[in-house]
Amino acid sequence: MKAELHEISVKFGTFCAVNNVSLSFAPGEIHALVGENGAGKSTAMSVLFGLNTDYQGNIFINDQLRRWKSPADAISAGIGMVHQHFMLQETMSVLENVILCSEPVNKLGFVNFAAAAKTVQNLIDSYDLQIDQTQKVGELSVGQRQAVEILKLLYRRSEFLILDEPTAVLTPNEKEELFQSLSNFKASGKSIILITHKIDEVMMIADKVSVMRSGNLISSKLLKNTSKNEIQQNIIGGKLPKPIKRKQMHPKDIGFEMQKVIIPGLATGGKPISLKVYLGEIVGIAGVSGNGQGSLVEAIVGIRNILSGNMLLSNENISDQDVSARRKIGLSYIPEDRQSVGLALDASVLENSCVSQMRNKQFSNGYFFNLQHLFKFSEQLVSEYDIRVGSVKSKVRTMSGGNKQKLVVARELEQKKQLVIAENPTWGVDIGAINKIHQELIKMRDMGHAILLVSNEIEEIMGLSDRIHVMANGQLSESLNSDQVTANKLGELMLSRNEPALSEKLEMMRP
Amino acid sequence: MLGSIFDPAFADSVARISIPILLAALGGAICHRAGVFNIALEGFLLMGAFMAVFGSHFTSSATLGTLSAICGGIFMALLFAEFHLRRPGDPIVVSIAINLISLGLSTYLLRAIFDVSGVFQSDQIRKVSLLDIPIIENIPFLGSFFSGQSLLFYFSLAIVIFAHFFFKYHQLGIWLRAAGENKQALEAGGVSSKKIQFISLILCGALCGLGGAQLSISNVGLFVENMSAGRGWIAVVIVLVTGGRALPLLGLVFLFGTVDGASLRVQGFGWPQQFTEMMPYLASLLALIFVCYRKLKFEKNTQGIRNV
Repeated sequence: MKAELHEISVKFGTFCAVNNVSLSFAPGEIHALVGENGAGKSTAMSVLFGLNTDYQGNIFINDQLRRWKSPADAISAGIGMVHQHFMLQETMSVLENVILCSEPVNKLGFVNFAAAAKTVQNLIDSYDLQIDQTQKVGELSVGQRQAVEILKLLYRRSEFLILDEPTAVLTPNEKEELFQSLSNFKASGKSIILITHKIDEVMMIADKVSVMRSGNLISSKLLKNTSKNEIQQNIIGGKLPKPIKRKQMHPKDIGFEMQKVIIPGLATGGKPISLKVYLGEIVGIAGVSGNGQGSLVEAIVGIRNILSGNMLLSNENISDQDVSARRKIGLSYIPEDRQSVGLALDASVLENSCVSQMRNKQFSNGYFFNLQHLFKFSEQLVSEYDIRVGSVKSKVRTMSGGNKQKLVVARELEQKKQLVIAENPTWGVDIGAINKIHQELIKMRDMGHAILLVSNEIEEIMGLSDRIHVMANGQLSESLNSDQVTANKLGELMLSRNEPALSEKLEMMRP
Repeated sequence: MLGSIFDPAFADSVARISIPILLAALGGAICHRAGVFNIALEGFLLMGAFMAVFGSHFTSSATLGTLSAICGGIFMALLFAEFHLRRPGDPIVVSIAINLISLGLSTYLLRAIFDVSGVFQSDQIRKVSLLDIPIIENIPFLGSFFSGQSLLFYFSLAIVIFAHFFFKYHQLGIWLRAAGENKQALEAGGVSSKKIQFISLILCGALCGLGGAQLSISNVGLFVENMSAGRGWIAVVIVLVTGGRALPLLGLVFLFGTVDGASLRVQGFGWPQQFTEMMPYLASLLALIFVCYRKLKFEKNTQGIRNV
């Protein structure tokens, strides 16, 4: 199936999200659409998928002019999309999810599950997907859920697959499986559009690369006619900023220490966790997501109780303190989930930026806020951390992912606490924001704060950390010096043990 | 004492008491499954009861009276849909409004049309016929439960069983569940969740209308102001406690029916009326506590697990 977007423009009010973009997609081709967050790539694809019907320009499918009224039209024309946030029914089985909305029914409307199961099993076998169709989706890992989403498209005979940031949540293994499946689809003549901002993946798998920046199409070339450098330059529209240098530090004071801590729910095999973070260093915790990093962070922050052991912050034992007491003693936390943990989406930038300092004398007298100061403070954050937002009174919900994250980072770092916990601080964030966040973390380190960086991105861990621990299967490895360790060594430690199935993990959490 | 409570007449009264609650709870279950927070069952029931008497009185036909009751329920459901689905009304506010409107409207119409207040009774009202089932009627105790009931009793039992399979194997049932759990996923498949929720409301209105008909033209053949008397609320509790699953719902409805029936009986033993009237509500409170306790325990066990 051939598809073409011809001079498409989308306007939201006066803001032009997509400006006169023309793209063509050929069968048997993996077409990567890259650009920073907010570059307009998702918007352009939502036009093709019929989610956005308010556009100028034309869509041609097999050289025929088409105009969708809703995604249903696009689906019946053979276009399918896997959204970044999965659209699945967790209490339903894989089979029910796959056939949802296109169930084979008899005259009375009852679903013929036997026939459906056969069709779905055929698809699973022919594309070699690792999935059991009788399982409930709620029990599946992220990678398997994605496979369910893809299976949905295959079941509806989509010839045209749009995947929005498909690798953002996958482990390296799952990523490989996904790419294998994509190659299979390509071989069977389907066309695939990959919306992404990870250039390495583009270089690995794409046939054609189109770059968008601020709503405009910058380039659209076959991969063999372009280079990584050129793509990168096109994405950020200029030269790459140089990696910033760090001060030579000789840390000797301990900022935070965990002594033989046992965290419930971790498969530590009786091995308690010990960890030291010195003032003036960044300690990275590398690992495939879901190996216990989340529980570790929760235990340090105070959301999860520990069974035994001590945690020392500023020489105070914080193991029995609650979250606010720990924060008062000297802890700030950049959570992985900015949408629900890090920010109140319907509150303003001003409110979000001041929320953790509301008890501070400068911010309120105990009864009323000092609004003047709040404004000054949040405006200062916005300009210092380059947060792009109309005014500090705008709702956080309206900002792009990168700007939201910069706001969280700004709020947490600005408190200048002794220990900073950064949990996947650049997840789903564009290159510009990643650089800014990395710079700020290094700046904190150079000022002599202790920083614990938990990240799934090896490059991030390697680039920022002074020392590295690897977390696998709930256990923390020895500390490794970052200038001596290689990415291979890290990968080996990360993947040395198999991840236990989720059900086993749940079982272990029962007291 | 127990022997004199649980006699055949008691079994008969349990069945009679349970049906309106069962029908309303089934309607509520459909809405609950489809993600419509509908606590206007009381209002739907009341309008159904009024319209049943209205239809039966003017047509002298129980069938048309029942149809009229269904229309009454559906009309209230349409009001709900208009304000909650087409306009962004909060379901709790809309529900409360509908409950109040139903009470006021039925009382007003009683005076405007029949020129009476309090109770309306007439010779023209035809009642839904009762069905005696051979063989079964001769079984002691159970016979008076399963036999000699109104047609609506058998109909509602059939619906419970149908509903069980409907949610599991029927396309619309699956879509209803999908709309309730994750409507974006349904919409991504090209099915409008609003449409599905609208259908759920209409079904709910129709079932509540039937429940109303059972109240007013099945055994008694009269309409009393505020005739539903909290049965819709009990149905709401049952729906929330059972999560809208058909078979547990049936069990709980009969539990309430039993408690309610028993509460009438123990009055005869000199128990204060104020207490016996409280019994069904006490039972619903206990059921809620039980479910919340189980839920809390479950959450405690799985505490801290992130959505992986």
